[in-house]
Amino acid sequence: MRWYVARRLLWAVVATFVILSITWALLYVTEQQALTSIQFQAAVSGGDAEAARAAYEQQRGLDRPLWRQYADYMTNMATFNWGYSTSRGQPVTAAIADALPYTMMYSVPWTILTVAFGLSIGLYSATHQYSRFDYAATFLAFFGYAIPNFWFGIVLLVLFGVHLDLVPIVFDPDAPVFSLANARQLVLPVFVLTTGSIASLTRYTRAEALEYVEATFTKTAKAKGVSERRILLLHVLRPAAVPLSTILVADLLGLFIASSYLVEVVFGIPGLGQLSFKAIQNQDTPLVLATTLVGVFIAVVGNLLQDIAYTVLDPRIDYGDR
Amino acid sequence: MSQHQRGATETQQELSLLSVRDLTVEFETDRGPLRAVDGVDFDVERGETVCLVGESGSGKTVTAETITKLIRMPPGRIVRGVAELDGRDLLSLSERDLRAIRGDRIAHVFQDPQHALNHCYTVGWQIREAIQVHEDVSDAAARERALTLLNQVGIPDATTRYDDYPHEFSGGMKQRIVVAMALAATPDLLIADEPTTALDVTIQAQLLDLLESIQTEYDMAILLITHDLGVVAELADRVVVLYAGKVMERGSVYEVFDTPAHPYTQVLFDCLPGRGRPLRSIGGTLPDLHDPPPGCRFASRCEYARKECHTGDQPPLYDVADAQTASCVYYGPGGDPDALRNGQSEGDPDG
Ligand code: SF4
Repeated sequence: MRWYVARRLLWAVVATFVILSITWALLYVTEQQALTSIQFQAAVSGGDAEAARAAYEQQRGLDRPLWRQYADYMTNMATFNWGYSTSRGQPVTAAIADALPYTMMYSVPWTILTVAFGLSIGLYSATHQYSRFDYAATFLAFFGYAIPNFWFGIVLLVLFGVHLDLVPIVFDPDAPVFSLANARQLVLPVFVLTTGSIASLTRYTRAEALEYVEATFTKTAKAKGVSERRILLLHVLRPAAVPLSTILVADLLGLFIASSYLVEVVFGIPGLGQLSFKAIQNQDTPLVLATTLVGVFIAVVGNLLQDIAYTVLDPRIDYGDR
Repeated sequence: MSQHQRGATETQQELSLLSVRDLTVEFETDRGPLRAVDGVDFDVERGETVCLVGESGSGKTVTAETITKLIRMPPGRIVRGVAELDGRDLLSLSERDLRAIRGDRIAHVFQDPQHALNHCYTVGWQIREAIQVHEDVSDAAARERALTLLNQVGIPDATTRYDDYPHEFSGGMKQRIVVAMALAATPDLLIADEPTTALDVTIQAQLLDLLESIQTEYDMAILLITHDLGVVAELADRVVVLYAGKVMERGSVYEVFDTPAHPYTQVLFDCLPGRGRPLRSIGGTLPDLHDPPPGCRFASRCEYARKECHTGDQPPLYDVADAQTASCVYYGPGGDPDALRNGQSEGDPDG
């Protein structure tokens, strides 16, 4: 198993390397295009195209040999020397470090709530299949699933923020992390995000748990005289945890990569999503690149965690090293 | 020990170990309630083997799994009936009391050894669980017992294999482990539902031998559900033939094999297969259990069916011989059982 995890880790490193190399290639092509247009403009305005090219190349370090450019780029990436954000007037890494806590403020409660509610509602539904609770949970789950987060967020903000005046409309980034004011302004974004994810986790948990509630080994356990609660926790939830853990990681990735944009833009939270959004608007290339790479790294690490979770949780996986 | 027990039972006026009466179970389906088991009666005495025989859909598994309420309820529902263990009705017990019976006095072995063990735990863990659910013993003591059981059911290298996961065992070995688990609390009754069907023939024979040997060793009754008449011939003391949720015939294995009384049983035994061969398929299909037709359940497929077979209820179980009964009008008042016997001998070249 150690060998398996090592191989997976190695694969994650290789994947990161490949992704970085492709990004570099893309950047290089972009620079070449920019170069062509500079030469063109210089020629049109009667200047010296060759001099303009040399000046630009020198400024951008494009006059170095190709392999040097590549090596320098990779070294910079590895040492977190990710460039300077022109739109924010600070290093890219500093901008990310500033934004990250705001993203954490809603994603940590989101994770806890999703796991707690998604698992328990799903399990209860599975063991009380076709009961009134199950029908209600199914209905709510489809509701939560179908409703677009972004639209739901605006509706809630208008209702509770504008009409009822229960929550602030403008997010205050200076509110202390553990304060009532902060909790109040985070309630809606967390709520909007959790409805969707609890709904989906509930459905998955119900389906997975149902498979094991009806499994022969559950019947074996019951026939042994094991109590309902113990069966639920040890014989149903434990095997279901294998697929569920991967679904949860996938959900979390989805949160970082897609949902964070919408929610942070709608609620004005200055987290990673908004940072990336504004960087695109301002055509701040180093910042766009950095925020995208953060997403990619999270995906790579998430995948790694998924695989490791599988091997730890399911003894049937063959690690190939026994 | 067994002498002593037999003496004790006699003083209890021959109280059966298990006594099932009028057991009726329905399942809620999209098409309305389905009556899977309809008024089933039978007994299991201490130390004997009773075989429940029937095609799939005859209600034998539901019967067996209702005794300790293993069926899922809902959709299942016990309409009426009792299942008495030593005179105490299990079906009216609280879940808590029933839990104390499950695994402790009545153990189960299911058909599908591939999925009967939880793939997330080692086999040792699962046997230990079976022991510790009923007895407050230390992990070390439970492990000792589990190892003894594993040895007893013929798992080689039990000590090293104790910490292996189910997927590391073959189907036959898994079923042996399931049997070991069932023996954990030395039950009085082992309910084995087609325990060998999923295994290949040589393994089947070994497992049947194992069941036989542990039965003598533990002086344990076995309720064996099977559609394999070879298995019946080998293990059974008495036979209960089910068809479409009703008992068609009951009797000792000798009587039922030598002189099958009920037309359905006769068809089953018409061409007695060897061990490992399934029941001969007979023409027609089972009646619709959502809305069974009146009269005898077997009427649509019975070559002897008369007018009265299509009206009223299922005929009662009439006495045929000493300890043999059959639910067929030919054994009732005014019936002529010889008509059935003759019918059977017609197809016999030596008859
Ligand atoms: S009662 Fe009638 S239909 Fe049923 S088995 Fe006897 S003869 Fe056949």
